[in-house]
Amino acid sequence: MVPPLVETQDLVKEYVLGGETVHAVNHVSLKIERGEFVAIMGASGSGKSTFMNMIGCLDVPSSGEVLIDGIATREMTSDAMAELRNSKIGFVFQQFNLLARTSALDNVAVPLIYAGVSGEARRERARATLTQMGLADRLDHSPAKLSGGQQQRVAIARALVTNPLMLLADEPTGALDTHTSEEIMHVFQTLNDEGITVVLVTHEADIADYAARRIVFRDGEVIEDGPVANRRRGRAA
Amino acid sequence: MTSIATRLSSYGINVAIALTALRTNLMRSILTTLGVMIGVLAVTLAVAVGSGAKVSVMESINSLGSNMALVFPRPDTEGGRGTEDRGRLTMRDARAIEREIDGVSAIAPQLRSSIQLVATGRNASTAAIGATPGYGIVSNITAERGRFITDADVNSASRVIVLGPTVAKKLYGDFDPVGERVRVNRVPFTIIGILESKGSSFGNDNDDIAIVPISTARQRFATDTLAGPDDLHMLFVGFQDGFSLRTAKREMTRLMRDRYRVRDKEISPFTIRTTEEFMQETAQVTAIFQAVLVAIASISLLVGGIGIMNIMLVSVTERTREIGLRMALGAKRSDIRNQFLVEAAVLCMIGGVIGLILAIAAAAAFEKAVDFPAPIGIATSIGAILFSALIGLIFGGWPAVRASRLSPIEALRSE
Repeated sequence: MVPPLVETQDLVKEYVLGGETVHAVNHVSLKIERGEFVAIMGASGSGKSTFMNMIGCLDVPSSGEVLIDGIATREMTSDAMAELRNSKIGFVFQQFNLLARTSALDNVAVPLIYAGVSGEARRERARATLTQMGLADRLDHSPAKLSGGQQQRVAIARALVTNPLMLLADEPTGALDTHTSEEIMHVFQTLNDEGITVVLVTHEADIADYAARRIVFRDGEVIEDGPVANRRRGRAA
Repeated sequence: MTSIATRLSSYGINVAIALTALRTNLMRSILTTLGVMIGVLAVTLAVAVGSGAKVSVMESINSLGSNMALVFPRPDTEGGRGTEDRGRLTMRDARAIEREIDGVSAIAPQLRSSIQLVATGRNASTAAIGATPGYGIVSNITAERGRFITDADVNSASRVIVLGPTVAKKLYGDFDPVGERVRVNRVPFTIIGILESKGSSFGNDNDDIAIVPISTARQRFATDTLAGPDDLHMLFVGFQDGFSLRTAKREMTRLMRDRYRVRDKEISPFTIRTTEEFMQETAQVTAIFQAVLVAIASISLLVGGIGIMNIMLVSVTERTREIGLRMALGAKRSDIRNQFLVEAAVLCMIGGVIGLILAIAAAAAFEKAVDFPAPIGIATSIGAILFSALIGLIFGGWPAVRASRLSPIEALRSE
């Protein structure tokens, strides 16, 4: 039996702020299967980002367990977590987080450095992934010379280059205009159609509508979890 | 095996990442590396001048003759209080040493005085050594033209003189004066030879001397500083190669103390020094000299290192978000630490290489300007570059570890 790609068991994250304990994520148990397209929604402070950081192995829970592809992460060393992020998870950020003054090709190759892929193979794979993202003619451009949508596609290529099981996107359209947002959502939908699991964090309902399943957080708890009615399809560029 | 290959390639990557980061902040990199550059320049020059001093002093000692003892008629106070007592050293002592001490190859008893020479209307003053043929053997000096003094010259107290190249040049220019007459303190002498050149040491011209038979010096030149008609100003004792000068000195001291009936706790009325002692003392003094120079110069390297640490801390803070991103993309703590370590080491090595090049240029200019050796060898060069990399690792260490300890999520969230 194939385990769920992500499974959280009674997941809790608490902070102590000004002497008061804040339950950012409060006893959340859920599963995300392979091939799903999930939108995690909620207002700011609802715990959705904290939840995503924990299933992305960027943050450790206060209690509970996160299993990625059936592997428990609670007792993992920071090195093992780094390896897990490198091989199974691709991150896409709101502000793209590309290295400045570094070509698109070299930006996309960064995760392969940490995967131990040698130089020529690294460049080859980065080139192939950028081509897949429609950026074959932008390989040597630095981020400053790319539009917002192009930058986000470079970032998606970087997330994809290690062939991860899952893309974790935190407000990926937050810095983009409506038209470009549709383009990027179309990219995610296409990738999802090809079998990659996509988990998207957003506070915008119309962006969440591109997903197949919607999980809504409020005050650290899941208040809604179900399929998206009237799912939107993104437009190709 | 793969992990070694991967690790090596990851160091290569780190160097590439470091170079990119350094190029990105070019002006800052240059200013930062300036400190290390000046530090390496200073330390390398200090090492060079220190070893130059050593080389030059050792050469001077070697030019004395490699394996010899020097005996002076001066009470041996061993660096203690001075004494008014007159020292003692006679020709009979010299013969006794030659006869009774093992390993003696030759002796060179000497009288020293300063003389005035006049020839062809020109004049010169120089130091005259009243010597025997043994002086040539012990001091390892021969006549380049003409001949050295002989036993016959000494026995007959002939008025012959061997000139050092400097004196000859002063009196005769480029003309070969062998066979010419020269007036020494108004007395006519015959020039029988010109010495080979011995160069200079400590700014002293070793060629500004003249040698006459010791018997002639005793008769003709002022010797009123001597107590008796048989007294000497100095005695060189040459020893066969490989003979222990330490043993020889002990035996000579015992012999001389017996001859002068020196009692147990009294100081000797003579002083014996060996080239071995000179070498050791010189090695010690020059080592201290070099250490002091290097220590002073190291302060500038330390300041340079602190500059590196400062800029690396700034760099880590500035790039916190990048660190978080790299962690999210799969960088381990060690990858982040190595990235910043390599960056600091590369920065320092660039400074080190430039500093070394400047030091080599400065040393060459220095050698030319003051005629003093300042060698920068391969070992010093490699040492300077490795040491500057080490400075990078030491002073880049803390910032690098700080970077690697960041939590990925907090680093990513930073502005």
